[in-house]
Amino acid sequence: MSNLSTLLGGVAETVDPRKEGLPIFGLLATEATQNHHMTYRIFDSSFRNVGSPWAAVCNSTTNYRFGMLGDASHAYVSYDHGNNFHNNLTSESYSTYINYNHSTYQIDQYPHCFYYSSSRDGFVSWQNYHQMTSSFEYQVGWTKLNMVLPEGCRPRRMFCNRRFTMREMAGNCATGNIQAYDYSSHMLNTDNNYATGTGYNEKMKMLVMIHSGDEGGNTSKVIHIFRGKKDLNKVPRIKDFFDDLESTEYFTDTWTNQNVKDWVVVVGNNGWVGFGLKQSNSKRYGVFDCNVKGVGVSLTGASRQWSTWHDFSGSTTTSYGASSGNQYYTKFHTTWDGTWGMIFSPYYYYGCGINAFCMSLENPRKFVNINQTKSGRSNPWVPWGRTGFHGGWSDNCDSETWQTYAWCFDPTDSDHETTTQVSMGTTSGDSVIPDNNTINPQGGTYTNKTGVVSLSSCRTTLTGGYGSTNYPLLMGVDWWGNYGGQNSGYGGGATTPITA
Amino acid sequence: MAIYYFTNAGEPCTPFEETGEDLMKKGLAIKATVPDGIEAWRLSYDTAAKAVVVYADGQDEAGALTQQQTDVAAQKVTDDAKDIADREA
Repeated sequence: MSNLSTLLGGVAETVDPRKEGLPIFGLLATEATQNHHMTYRIFDSSFRNVGSPWAAVCNSTTNYRFGMLGDASHAYVSYDHGNNFHNNLTSESYSTYINYNHSTYQIDQYPHCFYYSSSRDGFVSWQNYHQMTSSFEYQVGWTKLNMVLPEGCRPRRMFCNRRFTMREMAGNCATGNIQAYDYSSHMLNTDNNYATGTGYNEKMKMLVMIHSGDEGGNTSKVIHIFRGKKDLNKVPRIKDFFDDLESTEYFTDTWTNQNVKDWVVVVGNNGWVGFGLKQSNSKRYGVFDCNVKGVGVSLTGASRQWSTWHDFSGSTTTSYGASSGNQYYTKFHTTWDGTWGMIFSPYYYYGCGINAFCMSLENPRKFVNINQTKSGRSNPWVPWGRTGFHGGWSDNCDSETWQTYAWCFDPTDSDHETTTQVSMGTTSGDSVIPDNNTINPQGGTYTNKTGVVSLSSCRTTLTGGYGSTNYPLLMGVDWWGNYGGQNSGYGGGATTPITA
Repeated sequence: MAIYYFTNAGEPCTPFEETGEDLMKKGLAIKATVPDGIEAWRLSYDTAAKAVVVYADGQDEAGALTQQQTDVAAQKVTDDAKDIADREA
Protein backbone atom coordinates (compact mmCIF):
# COMPACT_ATOMS: atom_id res chain seq x y z
CA MET A 1 0.00 0.00 0.00
CA SER A 2 1.42 3.33 -0.99
CA ASN A 3 1.37 6.34 1.20
CA LEU A 4 3.22 9.62 1.24
CA SER A 5 6.14 8.05 3.05
CA THR A 6 6.71 5.33 0.46
CA LEU A 7 6.19 7.73 -2.42
CA LEU A 8 8.96 9.86 -1.00
CA GLY A 9 11.22 6.84 -0.66
CA GLY A 10 10.78 6.32 3.06
CA VAL A 11 10.08 3.11 4.91
CA ALA A 12 6.53 1.89 4.64
CA GLU A 13 4.69 1.83 7.95
CA THR A 14 1.43 0.00 8.10
CA VAL A 15 -0.87 0.82 10.97
CA ASP A 16 -3.49 -1.76 11.80
CA PRO A 17 -6.83 -0.15 10.84
CA ARG A 18 -8.25 -1.37 14.14
CA LYS A 19 -5.64 0.53 16.12
CA GLU A 20 -7.04 3.27 18.32
CA GLY A 21 -5.44 6.15 20.15
CA LEU A 22 -5.13 6.03 23.90
CA PRO A 23 -8.29 5.27 25.85
CA ILE A 24 -10.91 7.95 26.32
CA PHE A 25 -13.99 7.86 28.51
CA GLY A 26 -17.19 9.78 29.15
CA LEU A 27 -18.45 11.45 32.32
CA LEU A 28 -22.15 12.02 32.70
CA ALA A 29 -23.43 14.27 35.47
CA THR A 30 -27.01 15.02 36.38
CA GLU A 31 -28.94 16.54 39.18
CA ALA A 32 -31.18 14.16 41.04
CA THR A 33 -34.22 14.22 38.77
CA GLN A 34 -32.17 14.37 35.56
CA ASN A 35 -34.85 16.65 34.22
CA HIS A 36 -33.21 20.02 34.33
CA HIS A 37 -29.50 19.40 34.15
CA MET A 38 -27.37 16.83 32.38
CA THR A 39 -23.79 17.16 31.22
CA TYR A 40 -21.84 14.66 29.18
CA ARG A 41 -18.20 15.18 28.34
CA ILE A 42 -15.39 13.10 26.88
CA PHE A 43 -11.90 13.02 28.37
CA ASP A 44 -8.69 11.42 27.23
CA SER A 45 -6.23 9.55 29.41
CA SER A 46 -4.71 12.85 30.51
CA PHE A 47 -8.19 14.04 31.57
CA ARG A 48 -8.34 16.62 28.82
CA ASN A 49 -11.69 17.35 27.27
CA VAL A 50 -11.64 15.95 23.74
CA GLY A 51 -15.34 15.83 22.91
CA SER A 52 -17.25 17.99 20.52
CA PRO A 53 -19.44 20.81 21.84
CA TRP A 54 -21.94 19.96 19.11
CA ALA A 55 -22.51 16.48 20.50
CA ALA A 56 -22.09 17.24 24.16
CA VAL A 57 -24.97 17.82 26.50
CA CYS A 58 -24.45 21.13 28.21
CA ASN A 59 -27.90 22.35 29.13
CA SER A 60 -28.79 23.76 32.49
CA THR A 61 -32.54 24.18 32.30
CA THR A 62 -34.66 21.73 30.42
CA ASN A 63 -37.22 19.03 30.90
CA TYR A 64 -36.46 15.47 29.97
CA ARG A 65 -33.95 15.02 27.18
CA PHE A 66 -33.12 17.60 24.66
CA GLY A 67 -31.24 18.78 21.63
CA MET A 68 -28.91 16.33 20.02
CA LEU A 69 -29.52 13.89 22.84
CA GLY A 70 -33.19 13.79 21.94
CA ASP A 71 -33.38 10.04 21.99
CA ALA A 72 -36.84 8.49 21.81
CA SER A 73 -36.23 6.30 24.80
CA HIS A 74 -35.44 9.38 26.85
CA ALA A 75 -39.06 10.43 26.52
CA TYR A 76 -39.82 7.94 29.24
CA VAL A 77 -39.17 8.80 32.84
CA SER A 78 -35.82 8.44 34.48
CA TYR A 79 -36.73 4.93 35.52
CA ASP A 80 -35.82 3.90 32.02
CA HIS A 81 -32.20 4.73 32.62
CA GLY A 82 -31.32 3.20 35.88
CA ASN A 83 -33.91 4.70 38.18
CA ASN A 84 -31.59 7.54 38.82
CA PHE A 85 -27.94 8.06 38.04
CA HIS A 86 -27.53 9.07 41.66
CA ASN A 87 -28.22 5.53 42.82
CA ASN A 88 -25.16 4.11 44.42
CA LEU A 89 -25.65 0.38 43.98
CA THR A 90 -25.90 -0.04 47.71
CA SER A 91 -29.55 -0.31 48.53
CA GLU A 92 -30.61 -1.42 45.07
CA SER A 93 -31.43 -5.06 44.66
CA TYR A 94 -28.88 -6.85 42.53
CA SER A 95 -31.73 -8.33 40.53
CA THR A 96 -32.92 -4.86 39.57
CA TYR A 97 -31.02 -4.69 36.32
CA ILE A 98 -32.00 -1.11 35.63
CA ASN A 99 -29.54 0.14 38.23
CA TYR A 100 -26.45 -1.15 36.51
CA ASN A 101 -25.17 1.94 34.75
CA HIS A 102 -22.64 2.48 37.53
CA SER A 103 -21.74 -1.18 37.89
CA THR A 104 -18.46 -2.96 37.42
CA TYR A 105 -20.45 -5.33 35.20
CA GLN A 106 -21.09 -2.59 32.63
CA ILE A 107 -17.93 -2.75 30.50
CA ASP A 108 -15.26 -5.22 29.50
CA GLN A 109 -12.63 -5.35 26.74
CA TYR A 110 -15.22 -5.21 23.96
CA PRO A 111 -16.06 -1.75 22.63
CA HIS A 112 -19.77 -2.05 23.25
CA CYS A 113 -21.28 -1.34 26.65
CA PHE A 114 -24.12 -3.21 28.26
CA TYR A 115 -26.63 -0.36 28.43
CA TYR A 116 -25.59 2.42 26.09
CA SER A 117 -23.48 3.47 23.15
CA SER A 118 -21.30 6.57 23.15
CA SER A 119 -19.33 8.11 20.31
CA ARG A 120 -15.97 9.69 20.99
CA ASP A 121 -17.48 13.08 20.24
CA GLY A 122 -19.73 12.72 23.23
CA PHE A 123 -22.93 11.63 21.57
CA VAL A 124 -24.61 9.04 23.73
CA SER A 125 -27.74 6.97 23.55
CA TRP A 126 -29.09 4.40 25.93
CA GLN A 127 -30.39 1.09 24.81
CA ASN A 128 -34.05 0.52 25.37
CA TYR A 129 -34.61 -1.34 28.61
CA HIS A 130 -37.64 -3.10 27.25
CA GLN A 131 -36.63 -6.68 26.55
CA MET A 132 -33.20 -5.93 28.04
CA THR A 133 -33.33 -9.30 29.75
CA SER A 134 -33.39 -10.89 26.30
CA SER A 135 -30.35 -9.02 25.13
CA PHE A 136 -27.07 -10.56 24.08
CA GLU A 137 -25.10 -9.39 27.12
CA TYR A 138 -27.81 -10.31 29.55
CA GLN A 139 -28.11 -13.86 28.24
CA VAL A 140 -24.98 -14.96 26.42
CA GLY A 141 -22.29 -12.31 26.80
CA TRP A 142 -20.32 -14.96 28.68
CA THR A 143 -19.78 -16.84 25.39
CA LYS A 144 -17.57 -14.09 23.94
CA LEU A 145 -13.97 -14.94 23.26
CA ASN A 146 -11.37 -13.33 25.53
CA MET A 147 -9.02 -11.67 23.08
CA VAL A 148 -5.31 -10.88 23.40
CA LEU A 149 -4.63 -8.43 20.61
CA PRO A 150 -1.87 -6.12 19.35
CA GLU A 151 -1.22 -2.69 20.82
CA GLY A 152 -4.13 -0.29 20.55
CA CYS A 153 -6.63 -2.87 19.30
CA ARG A 154 -9.90 -3.87 20.88
CA PRO A 155 -11.95 -6.74 19.47
CA ARG A 156 -13.69 -5.54 16.31
CA ARG A 157 -15.09 -8.91 15.45
CA MET A 158 -17.10 -10.74 18.07
CA PHE A 159 -16.85 -14.50 18.12
CA CYS A 160 -18.94 -16.51 20.54
CA ASN A 161 -18.48 -20.13 21.51
CA ARG A 162 -21.22 -22.39 22.85
CA ARG A 163 -21.45 -26.17 22.71
CA PHE A 164 -19.36 -27.14 19.64
CA THR A 165 -20.24 -24.12 17.53
CA MET A 166 -18.42 -20.86 17.10
CA ARG A 167 -20.48 -17.95 15.86
CA GLU A 168 -19.72 -14.45 14.75
CA MET A 169 -22.14 -11.88 16.11
CA ALA A 170 -22.84 -8.21 15.54
CA GLY A 171 -23.00 -6.79 19.04
CA ASN A 172 -25.33 -6.39 21.99
CA CYS A 173 -28.40 -7.43 20.07
CA ALA A 174 -30.30 -10.49 18.99
CA THR A 175 -29.69 -10.26 15.28
CA GLY A 176 -28.77 -13.38 13.36
CA ASN A 177 -25.41 -15.06 13.32
CA ILE A 178 -23.11 -13.42 10.82
CA GLN A 179 -21.67 -16.87 10.46
CA ALA A 180 -21.49 -20.10 12.43
CA TYR A 181 -19.30 -23.16 12.29
CA ASP A 182 -19.45 -26.53 14.05
CA TYR A 183 -15.79 -27.33 14.76
CA SER A 184 -16.38 -30.68 16.46
CA SER A 185 -14.72 -32.58 13.60
CA HIS A 186 -11.44 -30.86 14.58
CA MET A 187 -11.65 -31.92 18.21
CA LEU A 188 -9.68 -34.78 19.69
CA ASN A 189 -11.98 -35.38 22.64
CA THR A 190 -15.71 -34.71 22.72
CA ASP A 191 -16.47 -36.14 26.16
CA ASN A 192 -17.69 -32.75 27.36
CA ASN A 193 -19.85 -30.84 24.94
CA TYR A 194 -20.44 -27.43 26.49
CA ALA A 195 -17.97 -24.71 25.52
CA THR A 196 -17.56 -22.64 28.68
CA GLY A 197 -14.69 -20.23 28.20
CA THR A 198 -12.56 -19.48 25.17
CA GLY A 199 -9.50 -17.34 24.64
CA TYR A 200 -7.62 -16.31 21.54
CA ASN A 201 -4.15 -14.84 21.11
CA GLU A 202 -3.72 -13.12 17.78
CA LYS A 203 0.09 -13.07 17.83
CA MET A 204 0.20 -16.83 18.46
CA LYS A 205 -2.87 -17.58 16.30
CA MET A 206 -3.79 -19.72 19.26
CA LEU A 207 -7.33 -20.62 20.26
CA VAL A 208 -7.89 -22.30 23.63
CA MET A 209 -11.29 -23.48 24.74
CA ILE A 210 -12.75 -25.19 27.78
CA HIS A 211 -15.52 -27.72 27.39
CA SER A 212 -17.50 -28.71 30.46
CA GLY A 213 -20.12 -31.33 31.19
CA ASP A 214 -22.89 -28.76 31.49
CA GLU A 215 -23.52 -25.01 31.75
CA GLY A 216 -23.88 -25.08 35.51
CA GLY A 217 -21.26 -26.23 37.97
CA ASN A 218 -19.91 -29.38 36.31
CA THR A 219 -16.24 -29.83 37.17
CA SER A 220 -15.23 -32.12 34.32
CA LYS A 221 -13.09 -30.32 31.73
CA VAL A 222 -11.59 -30.90 28.32
CA ILE A 223 -9.29 -28.12 27.15
CA HIS A 224 -8.47 -27.90 23.46
CA ILE A 225 -5.53 -25.95 22.08
CA PHE A 226 -5.77 -25.03 18.41
CA ARG A 227 -2.78 -23.39 16.75
CA GLY A 228 -3.79 -21.86 13.42
CA LYS A 229 -1.81 -20.89 10.37
CA LYS A 230 -4.29 -18.11 9.72
CA ASP A 231 -5.44 -15.37 12.04
CA LEU A 232 -9.00 -15.93 13.23
CA ASN A 233 -9.60 -12.18 13.12
CA LYS A 234 -8.65 -12.04 9.45
CA VAL A 235 -10.29 -15.09 7.94
CA PRO A 236 -13.60 -14.45 6.16
CA ARG A 237 -15.07 -17.64 7.58
CA ILE A 238 -14.46 -19.31 10.95
CA LYS A 239 -14.16 -22.54 9.01
CA ASP A 240 -11.05 -21.19 7.28
CA PHE A 241 -9.23 -20.99 10.60
CA PHE A 242 -10.07 -24.55 11.54
CA ASP A 243 -9.33 -25.92 8.08
CA ASP A 244 -5.74 -24.71 8.24
CA LEU A 245 -4.52 -25.71 11.69
CA GLU A 246 -0.87 -26.11 12.53
CA SER A 247 -1.54 -28.25 15.57
CA THR A 248 -4.34 -29.47 17.79
CA GLU A 249 -3.85 -30.75 21.32
CA TYR A 250 -5.99 -31.26 24.37
CA PHE A 251 -5.85 -32.15 28.02
CA THR A 252 -8.43 -33.14 30.56
CA ASP A 253 -8.83 -32.14 34.16
CA THR A 254 -11.27 -31.58 36.99
CA TRP A 255 -11.68 -27.94 37.95
CA THR A 256 -13.67 -26.47 40.80
CA ASN A 257 -16.17 -23.91 39.56
CA GLN A 258 -19.32 -22.48 41.04
CA ASN A 259 -20.56 -21.73 37.54
CA VAL A 260 -18.78 -22.57 34.30
CA LYS A 261 -19.99 -19.38 32.60
CA ASP A 262 -17.51 -17.44 34.72
CA TRP A 263 -14.41 -18.91 33.09
CA VAL A 264 -12.01 -16.45 31.48
CA VAL A 265 -9.23 -17.78 29.26
CA VAL A 266 -6.12 -15.64 28.85
CA VAL A 267 -3.80 -16.94 26.13
CA GLY A 268 -0.35 -15.47 26.68
CA ASN A 269 2.22 -14.56 24.07
CA ASN A 270 4.49 -17.33 25.39
CA GLY A 271 1.96 -20.14 25.02
CA TRP A 272 1.12 -20.24 28.72
CA VAL A 273 -2.57 -19.79 29.40
CA GLY A 274 -4.24 -18.32 32.47
CA PHE A 275 -7.67 -19.64 33.44
CA GLY A 276 -9.60 -17.64 36.01
CA LEU A 277 -13.07 -17.14 37.35
CA LYS A 278 -15.16 -15.82 40.17
CA GLN A 279 -15.63 -18.58 42.72
CA SER A 280 -18.15 -17.90 45.45
CA ASN A 281 -17.08 -14.54 46.95
CA SER A 282 -13.48 -15.11 45.92
CA LYS A 283 -11.73 -15.89 42.63
CA ARG A 284 -9.44 -18.62 41.31
CA TYR A 285 -6.62 -18.49 38.82
CA GLY A 286 -4.43 -21.21 37.39
CA VAL A 287 -1.83 -21.25 34.63
CA PHE A 288 -1.15 -24.09 32.22
CA ASP A 289 1.51 -24.72 29.61
CA CYS A 290 -0.37 -24.91 26.32
CA ASN A 291 2.69 -24.98 24.10
CA VAL A 292 2.89 -27.83 21.63
CA LYS A 293 3.87 -31.06 23.41
CA GLY A 294 3.41 -33.62 20.68
CA VAL A 295 0.83 -36.22 19.82
CA GLY A 296 -0.61 -38.17 22.72
CA VAL A 297 1.46 -36.59 25.51
CA SER A 298 0.59 -34.18 28.32
CA LEU A 299 -3.05 -35.14 28.25
CA THR A 300 -3.72 -34.24 31.87
CA GLY A 301 -3.94 -30.89 33.55
CA ALA A 302 -1.38 -31.97 36.14
CA SER A 303 1.21 -32.47 33.42
CA ARG A 304 0.81 -28.88 32.21
CA GLN A 305 -0.03 -26.84 35.29
CA TRP A 306 2.40 -24.34 36.73
CA SER A 307 2.32 -24.02 40.51
CA THR A 308 -1.22 -24.61 41.84
CA TRP A 309 -4.64 -23.01 41.65
CA HIS A 310 -4.45 -19.70 43.40
CA ASP A 311 -7.34 -18.23 45.38
CA PHE A 312 -7.75 -14.47 45.46
CA SER A 313 -5.45 -13.02 48.13
CA GLY A 314 -7.30 -9.80 48.84
CA SER A 315 -10.36 -8.86 50.82
CA THR A 316 -13.65 -10.40 49.73
CA THR A 317 -17.25 -10.00 50.76
CA THR A 318 -20.61 -11.09 49.41
CA SER A 319 -20.68 -10.55 45.66
CA TYR A 320 -22.22 -12.15 42.64
CA GLY A 321 -21.09 -14.07 39.59
CA ALA A 322 -22.76 -16.08 36.87
CA SER A 323 -24.37 -18.41 39.39
CA SER A 324 -26.68 -15.51 40.28
CA GLY A 325 -27.46 -14.66 36.66
CA ASN A 326 -25.77 -14.96 33.29
CA GLN A 327 -25.12 -11.22 33.09
CA TYR A 328 -22.84 -11.31 36.12
CA TYR A 329 -20.22 -13.42 34.36
CA THR A 330 -16.58 -12.75 35.19
CA LYS A 331 -15.11 -10.24 32.79
CA PHE A 332 -11.84 -9.56 31.01
CA HIS A 333 -10.03 -6.33 30.17
CA THR A 334 -6.70 -5.53 28.56
CA THR A 335 -4.57 -2.42 28.75
CA TRP A 336 -4.33 -0.25 25.66
CA ASP A 337 -0.91 -1.63 24.73
CA GLY A 338 -2.04 -5.21 25.18
CA THR A 339 0.72 -6.09 27.64
CA TRP A 340 -1.43 -6.62 30.74
CA GLY A 341 -4.83 -8.22 31.20
CA MET A 342 -7.37 -8.28 34.01
CA ILE A 343 -9.88 -10.91 35.09
CA PHE A 344 -12.32 -9.01 37.23
CA SER A 345 -15.64 -8.91 39.07
CA PRO A 346 -17.14 -6.70 41.77
CA TYR A 347 -16.02 -6.70 45.39
CA TYR A 348 -19.44 -5.99 46.81
CA TYR A 349 -22.96 -7.26 46.20
CA TYR A 350 -24.29 -5.01 43.49
CA GLY A 351 -21.30 -4.18 41.34
CA CYS A 352 -19.18 -1.99 43.60
CA GLY A 353 -15.42 -2.17 43.97
CA ILE A 354 -13.24 -4.75 42.33
CA ASN A 355 -11.61 -8.10 42.92
CA ALA A 356 -9.24 -8.89 40.08
CA PHE A 357 -6.21 -10.72 38.89
CA CYS A 358 -3.97 -8.64 36.66
CA MET A 359 -1.56 -10.71 34.61
CA SER A 360 1.19 -10.13 32.09
CA LEU A 361 -0.07 -11.06 28.66
CA GLU A 362 3.47 -11.86 27.68
CA ASN A 363 3.62 -14.39 30.50
CA PRO A 364 0.37 -15.13 32.40
CA ARG A 365 2.39 -16.75 35.20
CA LYS A 366 3.15 -13.23 36.34
CA PHE A 367 0.12 -11.91 38.16
CA VAL A 368 -0.99 -9.89 41.18
CA ASN A 369 -4.27 -9.39 42.99
CA ILE A 370 -6.16 -6.11 42.61
CA ASN A 371 -8.55 -4.84 45.26
CA GLN A 372 -10.86 -1.90 45.80
CA THR A 373 -13.20 -2.47 48.72
CA LYS A 374 -16.01 -0.03 48.10
CA SER A 375 -19.54 -0.86 49.21
CA GLY A 376 -21.23 2.05 47.47
CA ARG A 377 -20.79 4.73 44.79
CA SER A 378 -19.50 2.42 42.11
CA ASN A 379 -18.26 3.20 38.63
CA PRO A 380 -17.07 0.84 35.89
CA TRP A 381 -13.41 0.25 35.06
CA VAL A 382 -11.84 1.13 31.73
CA PRO A 383 -8.34 1.08 30.22
CA TRP A 384 -6.28 4.14 31.04
CA GLY A 385 -3.14 5.45 29.40
CA ARG A 386 -0.68 3.05 27.85
CA THR A 387 -0.56 0.23 30.40
CA GLY A 388 -3.23 0.84 33.01
CA PHE A 389 -6.84 1.00 34.09
CA HIS A 390 -8.98 3.42 36.05
CA GLY A 391 -12.50 3.92 37.36
CA GLY A 392 -14.40 2.61 40.33
CA TRP A 393 -15.63 5.67 42.16
CA SER A 394 -18.55 8.07 41.77
CA ASP A 395 -18.79 9.91 45.03
CA ASN A 396 -20.58 13.23 45.29
CA CYS A 397 -18.69 15.87 43.33
CA ASP A 398 -20.46 18.80 44.96
CA SER A 399 -17.55 21.00 46.01
CA GLU A 400 -15.21 18.13 45.26
CA THR A 401 -13.03 17.24 42.31
CA TRP A 402 -13.95 13.95 40.67
CA GLN A 403 -11.81 11.08 41.90
CA THR A 404 -10.82 7.96 40.06
CA TYR A 405 -8.70 4.96 40.96
CA ALA A 406 -5.93 4.73 38.38
CA TRP A 407 -3.01 2.36 38.31
CA CYS A 408 -0.54 1.15 35.74
CA PHE A 409 2.14 -1.45 35.08
CA ASP A 410 5.50 -1.64 33.41
CA PRO A 411 4.79 -3.02 29.92
CA THR A 412 8.15 -4.85 29.88
CA ASP A 413 7.60 -6.46 33.28
CA SER A 414 6.88 -10.13 32.53
CA ASP A 415 9.24 -12.18 34.71
CA HIS A 416 7.12 -14.19 37.12
CA GLU A 417 10.08 -14.77 39.41
CA THR A 418 10.37 -11.10 40.26
CA THR A 419 8.04 -8.71 42.02
CA THR A 420 5.59 -6.56 40.05
CA GLN A 421 5.85 -2.80 39.94
CA VAL A 422 2.51 -1.05 40.16
CA SER A 423 2.24 2.72 39.98
CA MET A 424 -0.66 4.54 41.58
CA GLY A 425 -1.69 8.12 42.19
CA THR A 426 -3.13 9.90 45.16
CA THR A 427 -4.91 13.05 46.21
CA SER A 428 -1.99 15.45 45.90
CA GLY A 429 0.44 15.98 43.07
CA ASP A 430 3.13 16.76 45.62
CA SER A 431 3.03 13.21 46.89
CA VAL A 432 3.10 11.76 43.39
CA ILE A 433 6.09 13.89 42.39
CA PRO A 434 7.70 14.07 45.83
CA ASP A 435 10.65 16.10 47.01
CA ASN A 436 12.84 13.01 47.08
CA ASN A 437 13.98 10.21 44.78
CA THR A 438 11.46 7.59 45.81
CA ILE A 439 10.54 5.54 42.80
CA ASN A 440 6.85 4.95 42.54
CA PRO A 441 5.93 6.68 45.83
CA GLN A 442 2.24 5.80 45.82
CA GLY A 443 2.50 2.32 44.38
CA GLY A 444 4.86 -0.43 45.25
CA THR A 445 6.37 -3.75 44.37
CA TYR A 446 4.11 -6.71 44.89
CA THR A 447 4.95 -10.36 45.33
CA ASN A 448 3.94 -12.56 42.45
CA LYS A 449 0.77 -14.59 43.05
CA THR A 450 0.08 -13.42 46.60
CA GLY A 451 0.64 -9.66 46.41
CA VAL A 452 -2.46 -7.51 46.86
CA VAL A 453 -2.61 -4.10 45.23
CA SER A 454 -5.11 -2.02 47.20
CA LEU A 455 -5.97 0.76 44.80
CA SER A 456 -5.73 4.37 45.85
CA SER A 457 -7.86 7.33 44.93
CA CYS A 458 -6.55 10.00 42.56
CA ARG A 459 -7.74 13.58 42.25
CA THR A 460 -8.46 14.57 38.66
CA THR A 461 -9.31 18.28 39.01
CA LEU A 462 -12.41 17.60 36.92
CA THR A 463 -15.71 18.99 38.10
CA GLY A 464 -18.52 16.51 38.32
CA GLY A 465 -20.33 18.52 35.66
CA TYR A 466 -23.00 19.99 37.91
CA GLY A 467 -22.81 22.69 40.55
CA SER A 468 -24.51 20.86 43.37
CA THR A 469 -25.11 17.24 44.32
CA ASN A 470 -23.95 14.95 41.53
CA TYR A 471 -22.49 11.49 41.19
CA PRO A 472 -20.74 11.28 37.81
CA LEU A 473 -21.17 8.17 35.75
CA LEU A 474 -18.01 6.95 34.04
CA MET A 475 -18.88 5.65 30.58
CA GLY A 476 -17.15 3.57 27.96
CA VAL A 477 -16.67 4.90 24.45
CA ASP A 478 -17.03 2.74 21.36
CA TRP A 479 -14.12 4.15 19.37
CA TRP A 480 -11.19 6.00 20.89
CA GLY A 481 -10.19 7.56 17.59
CA ASN A 482 -7.65 6.58 15.00
CA TYR A 483 -4.16 6.01 16.30
CA GLY A 484 -2.09 9.08 15.56
CA GLY A 485 -5.19 11.11 14.80
CA GLN A 486 -5.50 14.82 14.96
CA ASN A 487 -5.96 15.16 18.70
CA SER A 488 -2.82 15.15 20.81
CA GLY A 489 -4.51 12.80 23.24
CA TYR A 490 -4.84 10.12 20.62
CA GLY A 491 -1.58 8.28 20.18
CA GLY A 492 0.55 10.76 22.03
CA GLY A 493 0.46 13.05 24.98
CA ALA A 494 2.08 13.44 28.34
CA THR A 495 1.23 10.05 29.74
CA THR A 496 2.19 8.04 26.73
CA PRO A 497 5.70 7.53 25.47
CA ILE A 498 4.83 5.62 22.34
CA THR A 499 7.35 4.06 20.03
CA ALA A 500 6.55 2.84 16.57
CA MET B 1 -11.56 -13.00 66.98
CA ALA B 2 -9.48 -13.10 63.83
CA ILE B 3 -6.57 -11.28 62.26
CA TYR B 4 -7.27 -8.92 59.37
CA TYR B 5 -4.91 -6.64 57.49
CA PHE B 6 -5.96 -3.14 56.46
CA THR B 7 -4.47 -0.63 54.07
CA ASN B 8 -2.84 2.49 55.44
CA ALA B 9 -6.06 4.26 54.47
CA GLY B 10 -7.96 1.91 56.79
CA GLU B 11 -9.67 -0.17 54.13
CA PRO B 12 -9.89 -3.97 54.31
CA CYS B 13 -6.94 -5.51 52.47
CA THR B 14 -6.54 -9.21 53.18
CA PRO B 15 -7.31 -11.88 55.75
CA PHE B 16 -4.33 -13.97 54.62
CA GLU B 17 -1.22 -14.00 56.80
CA GLU B 18 1.32 -14.59 54.01
CA THR B 19 0.02 -11.66 51.98
CA GLY B 20 -0.60 -9.41 54.97
CA GLU B 21 2.80 -9.91 56.57
CA ASP B 22 4.49 -9.31 53.21
CA LEU B 23 2.61 -6.04 52.81
CA MET B 24 3.43 -5.00 56.37
CA LYS B 25 7.14 -5.43 55.69
CA LYS B 26 6.74 -3.01 52.83
CA GLY B 27 4.81 -0.57 54.97
CA LEU B 28 1.61 -1.12 53.01
CA ALA B 29 -0.64 -2.73 55.62
CA ILE B 30 -1.83 -2.54 59.23
CA LYS B 31 -2.54 -5.66 61.26
CA ALA B 32 -5.55 -5.73 63.55
CA THR B 33 -7.87 -8.08 65.37
CA VAL B 34 -11.46 -8.16 64.15
CA PRO B 35 -14.57 -9.85 65.52
CA ASP B 36 -15.59 -13.17 63.96
CA GLY B 37 -18.49 -13.45 61.56
CA ILE B 38 -18.42 -9.91 60.21
CA GLU B 39 -18.29 -9.44 56.43
CA ALA B 40 -15.27 -7.46 55.27
CA TRP B 41 -17.27 -4.60 53.77
CA ARG B 42 -18.34 -3.62 57.29
CA LEU B 43 -14.78 -3.43 58.58
CA SER B 44 -12.46 -0.46 58.56
CA TYR B 45 -9.53 0.71 60.60
CA ASP B 46 -9.49 4.13 62.23
CA THR B 47 -5.87 5.12 61.82
CA ALA B 48 -6.17 8.02 64.27
CA ALA B 49 -7.82 6.04 67.03
CA LYS B 50 -5.87 2.92 66.04
CA ALA B 51 -9.00 0.81 66.33
CA VAL B 52 -11.15 -1.39 64.15
CA VAL B 53 -14.54 0.05 63.30
CA VAL B 54 -17.48 -2.22 62.51
CA TYR B 55 -20.25 -0.65 60.48
CA ALA B 56 -23.64 -1.24 62.08
CA ASP B 57 -21.93 -2.88 65.02
CA GLY B 58 -24.11 -5.30 66.91
CA GLN B 59 -26.23 -6.18 63.91
CA ASP B 60 -26.13 -9.21 61.68
CA GLU B 61 -25.48 -8.97 57.93
CA ALA B 62 -29.14 -8.42 57.08
CA GLY B 63 -29.40 -5.73 59.72
CA ALA B 64 -26.24 -4.05 58.42
CA LEU B 65 -27.65 -4.00 54.90
CA THR B 66 -30.85 -2.47 56.17
CA GLN B 67 -28.84 0.11 58.07
CA GLN B 68 -26.90 0.90 54.92
CA GLN B 69 -30.12 1.45 52.99
CA THR B 70 -31.34 3.75 55.72
CA ASP B 71 -28.09 5.72 55.65
CA VAL B 72 -28.12 5.98 51.87
CA ALA B 73 -31.72 7.15 51.87
CA ALA B 74 -30.91 9.77 54.48
CA GLN B 75 -27.93 10.94 52.44
CA LYS B 76 -30.17 11.26 49.38
CA VAL B 77 -32.60 13.46 51.30
CA THR B 78 -29.71 15.67 52.36
CA ASP B 79 -28.27 15.74 48.84
CA ASP B 80 -31.57 16.59 47.21
CA ALA B 81 -32.30 19.33 49.70
CA LYS B 82 -28.94 20.90 49.04
CA ASP B 83 -29.48 20.59 45.29
CA ILE B 84 -32.77 22.43 45.53
CA ALA B 85 -31.31 25.06 47.84
CA ASP B 86 -28.36 25.60 45.50
CA ARG B 87 -30.66 26.07 42.51
CA GLU B 88 -32.87 28.52 44.33
CA ALA B 89 -29.98 30.47 45.77
